[in-house]
Amino acid sequence: MRLETRKLLDKAFSGFGLIAIVIMALALVFILAPIVSRGSKAFVFKGTIEHRRVMLELFDRGNVDKFHKERDEVGKAREPIYAMMAEFEAKTLELETSIETTLDEIKNEDRNLRKEVSRLKKVTPRDDVLIAELEARREQFKTREAELKAQRSELDDTRSAPYEELKDTVEELFGPIPGDKTPVLVRQRYGQTRWDRSLIKLHELLYTEEWDYSSPDGIGVKVETPRSELFAGTCLEPLFSYTEENIPQMMRPRTTFYWQFITDVSKGDNFFGGIWPAVLGTIYLTLGSMIFAIPMGVIAAIYLCEYAKEGRVISFLRVCISTLAGVPSIVFGLFGLAFFLNTIHVSSSKSVLAGSLTLSLLILPTIIRSAEEAILAVPRSYKEAAFGLGAGRWRTVLTVILPAALPGILTGVVISMGRAAGETAPIIFTAAVSVGLPLKIWETMTEPTPALPWNIYNLCTEHEAVDEIRHVQYGMVLTLVAIVLILNLFAIFMRARISKKLRG
Amino acid sequence: MSMNGNTNKSLVMSDAASVRLRLGNWIGQGVLFLITSLSTFAVFFIFYFIIKDAIPFFKTEGFKELFTGTHWYPSAHPAEFGALPLFAGTALVTVGAILVAVPLGISAAVCLSDLLPFKIRQVVKPMIEILAAIPSVAYGFFALVVFAPMLQEKGGTLLSTGAWLILGPIFALLVVVAGDLLLDRLRTRIKNTKLAAITVFSVLGSAAFFLIYRVAGQLAGIEISSGTNAFNVSIILGIMALPTVVSVSEDALQAAGRELREGSYALGATRAETILKTIIPASVSGILAAVILGVMRAVGETMVVWMASGNAARIPEPWYNVLQPVRTLTATIAGDMGEADHVTGSSRFHVLFALALCLLAFSFLMNLASETIVKRSRKKLGK
Amino acid sequence: MKKVIAIAVVAASVGVASAQDKIVIDGSTTVGPIAKAFAEYFMAAHSEVNVTVSESGSGNGAKGLLNGTCDVGDMSRPMKDGEFKACAEKGIQPVAHVVALDGLPILVHPSNPVKDLTVEQVRKIYLGEITNWKEVGGPDMAIVSISRDTNSGTYETFEGMVMNKQKIHEGCEYVGSNGAVRQRVQSTPAAIGYAGLGFVDKTVKALKVNGVFPSAETVQSGEYPIARPLFMYTNGYPKLGTPLYQFITIYLSEDGQEMVEEKGFIPVTAY
Repeated sequence: MRLETRKLLDKAFSGFGLIAIVIMALALVFILAPIVSRGSKAFVFKGTIEHRRVMLELFDRGNVDKFHKERDEVGKAREPIYAMMAEFEAKTLELETSIETTLDEIKNEDRNLRKEVSRLKKVTPRDDVLIAELEARREQFKTREAELKAQRSELDDTRSAPYEELKDTVEELFGPIPGDKTPVLVRQRYGQTRWDRSLIKLHELLYTEEWDYSSPDGIGVKVETPRSELFAGTCLEPLFSYTEENIPQMMRPRTTFYWQFITDVSKGDNFFGGIWPAVLGTIYLTLGSMIFAIPMGVIAAIYLCEYAKEGRVISFLRVCISTLAGVPSIVFGLFGLAFFLNTIHVSSSKSVLAGSLTLSLLILPTIIRSAEEAILAVPRSYKEAAFGLGAGRWRTVLTVILPAALPGILTGVVISMGRAAGETAPIIFTAAVSVGLPLKIWETMTEPTPALPWNIYNLCTEHEAVDEIRHVQYGMVLTLVAIVLILNLFAIFMRARISKKLRG
Repeated sequence: MSMNGNTNKSLVMSDAASVRLRLGNWIGQGVLFLITSLSTFAVFFIFYFIIKDAIPFFKTEGFKELFTGTHWYPSAHPAEFGALPLFAGTALVTVGAILVAVPLGISAAVCLSDLLPFKIRQVVKPMIEILAAIPSVAYGFFALVVFAPMLQEKGGTLLSTGAWLILGPIFALLVVVAGDLLLDRLRTRIKNTKLAAITVFSVLGSAAFFLIYRVAGQLAGIEISSGTNAFNVSIILGIMALPTVVSVSEDALQAAGRELREGSYALGATRAETILKTIIPASVSGILAAVILGVMRAVGETMVVWMASGNAARIPEPWYNVLQPVRTLTATIAGDMGEADHVTGSSRFHVLFALALCLLAFSFLMNLASETIVKRSRKKLGK
Repeated sequence: MKKVIAIAVVAASVGVASAQDKIVIDGSTTVGPIAKAFAEYFMAAHSEVNVTVSESGSGNGAKGLLNGTCDVGDMSRPMKDGEFKACAEKGIQPVAHVVALDGLPILVHPSNPVKDLTVEQVRKIYLGEITNWKEVGGPDMAIVSISRDTNSGTYETFEGMVMNKQKIHEGCEYVGSNGAVRQRVQSTPAAIGYAGLGFVDKTVKALKVNGVFPSAETVQSGEYPIARPLFMYTNGYPKLGTPLYQFITIYLSEDGQEMVEEKGFIPVTAY
């Protein structure tokens, strides 16, 4: 091969390596970008008056006087809409009643005629001419009745049904109509709390969606027609242009910084409020698993480094530890269920305790390994100096080696905390539920809890309004990722300091 | 006070004190040993509990159907427990993930250990750690909510762009090497070497271009009917396995040592040649261990595959068609556990433990293999 | 014993002498929305009681009730003989509370012109005998069939009422929840799926089955062929006045009925 080619190949080789690194960085950005950008919208967004109402009424937060003032102004802006709707309703009712009364009248008269006819039929001699005349009149009534019924159903089709649909959309946008009874579901008591969702709902209000199947390949095409066409000529026609023009006055969007998203409980099926029970559950599970895993892990590491003599038993122990590290997380879940819950019954139902125990097994090998590394990294001279001063093994370990290894051990602990916080599979069967209150510390022994990883799965696959609460899902993912990354960054900094210290 | 007392004692311990101390030490060590073996017990407990609940399945249903049957209908009457599609699904996504993770991971590891200056390494390494730290459910969420719709909408475009990006550099390199070799052969016979070089490279180059163009064109025409499929999961699992592969193989490359590299340079080899012909062969066992760990990560992952693999218990047709939904062992356990009634002791419950046992046995064997490989390589390097 | 200690701790520390401070609900994902709505409604009135809801599948509901790991087992199918037997052996007496009715609409993408299928056609689609929409009067598209995971009561209902216990073909995709079925159908023009009535919105199109459109009326009258009751099971009838009793009777109240209806299910009694 020529030298140039060899050089070129060498360059290309470096290039491939760099490309690999760049691809890795891109993958990281590619994955984190949507999570961060859309997740932050759970915290910072344009909140409408409905958001402030939720805050005030459900969380007792905000300035009451200012809110009342704003509410009155908004009420004034919304007033014409409700007035138009009331007028339309009244008009529809009027038309309905007029049809109903005519129907009733006709029915009454018909009944009278029937009675008359049957009376006449019994009279002798029978006046057949009169009877025929009356029967003919009854026939007329019948056609009239059919006409009226057709009118009524037309009224249903053209006025009532479209109106009901409109009313539903208005209620979704602005919340229940003033004067109506308060809905039982919290979710229906308020309109759209976010400006972006409000605009989507506004679009739904302004346009109806139909599918046109006339294209030759038979696949339908979505056709949007202005809803105002359905109400052309009625008093509701101006409603649409009015709403479109005045929506800012009716919703009052304002940039809102909702950091309480993390510390608020969720209301109305995760439509309002935050994710505190899940965050707290994750914290409990993480700390709980640490309580079990740290002592065991550190003691095991001390034994393996300081006491154990390399031999069959120890190498067997090591194989076991690395096997434990390789067990798939879902198998830990099965084991937790079969052992902690069904065999030794640590609690009567799923609980934080059972979940923590399961998680602690999962992170045990990581903690042992990192603690071992940290202990081995303590310079030999420390130990020898301690022995030289006459300290026993115990004392050396406790007062010299452990303190020196502590930062390293902590680094491993922090990393495994991140791992425990993010694991889903082991807690599915042992600790996680989709709805629950934030637990008090003593309740963790017996009660299950929502937890971020499980609730992310649950909300993005099982919630009945998946698309409408995307911001909550993204917010949860961002919170979880942030928790884990902060823990890891902390560990990275700590390790950098340690290596500096050891080098310097 | 006790210090005072101590100073008066002689430095030589009395027999009784010595025995006491030894006994204390012995007991202390015993306790430590017991606590240490707790993790060992945990492994045995896990094996015990999984095997205990798996045995009833094998007793009633035998082994043959589970490993050779292709019909997975655990709830039908009569139930069928052919888990081959599940094994195939797991194998397919794992192979896919490895195809993503290994080339990328080893290139990145080489780059980290031999090419990049220390400063940049300090930035890249935390990046890898972050990639490893992102929880699997976040990856799953991304795969389901962002990546799957993207594949469904612009699948063809994505695939053809990917083909250009991957095949482009590889083919360019191949053209250069092949052209060079060809010219070497021709040099003795042809006088006008410049013209020959231009012809050879342009012919090879356009052939390569045309080939990629055709492949990319084919791929662009593909419409992905379901974004939740083996391809999606493979990419995401590959990214998840990447940090393991990178860090373990980087350790292996570092362990090959400075002397080897310097020796190779002294013989006049370029950096690429040094790495390809000397360092990688020397650290091949460590790299193999890295691949094994990557495989274990991909096989054992639950959330991503549960959320984004489509969960169809069927061997794709043809078997390598990664654009079809698959179902894996882990997802089956997570998903079916809810319905499989533990109480009536049905086969449907126990089959999940049988599957878990397969997973467990696989990861155990893989683990042993990687341990042995690493140990052997250490010995070799030690000598 | 543990429970007693826990209660003692709670009673001592909070000072509330409540007989029960938690209600654990587990089971069907279909009943999940109702259970969650009830839980929130109940906790708004009884802040001292923690109601937790998990949605893991009907079988888990039965299992939890039997093992005593939950107080209420949500199920979208009746208990099976084997489950009853196991309960009886353990001295547990499952009492069924029918909290709502549910239809299983057959869902397609709104761009699909097909409006009406017979049960027979649906079965053939899921058996893999009909593979293209043009065979049932639609456009020339290969059908992508989507089913609930085999771990759901919804699947078992579908299997029983539509499939006549015949096996769904292997190319069928399985997804873990009702919401996921809708998600797959709304993003896939050639898809067919089925989910609870509460999960139908305008991003998907429900088909008429045997000429009957799935709605509250047609389900209640029995005209719509694929419908079922939804259950909450308790161990014995709860002692009157206990939180569990109050919880399990929410569905009988007017508010309960309204919640059931607003969640898209059909209340068993009409006000």
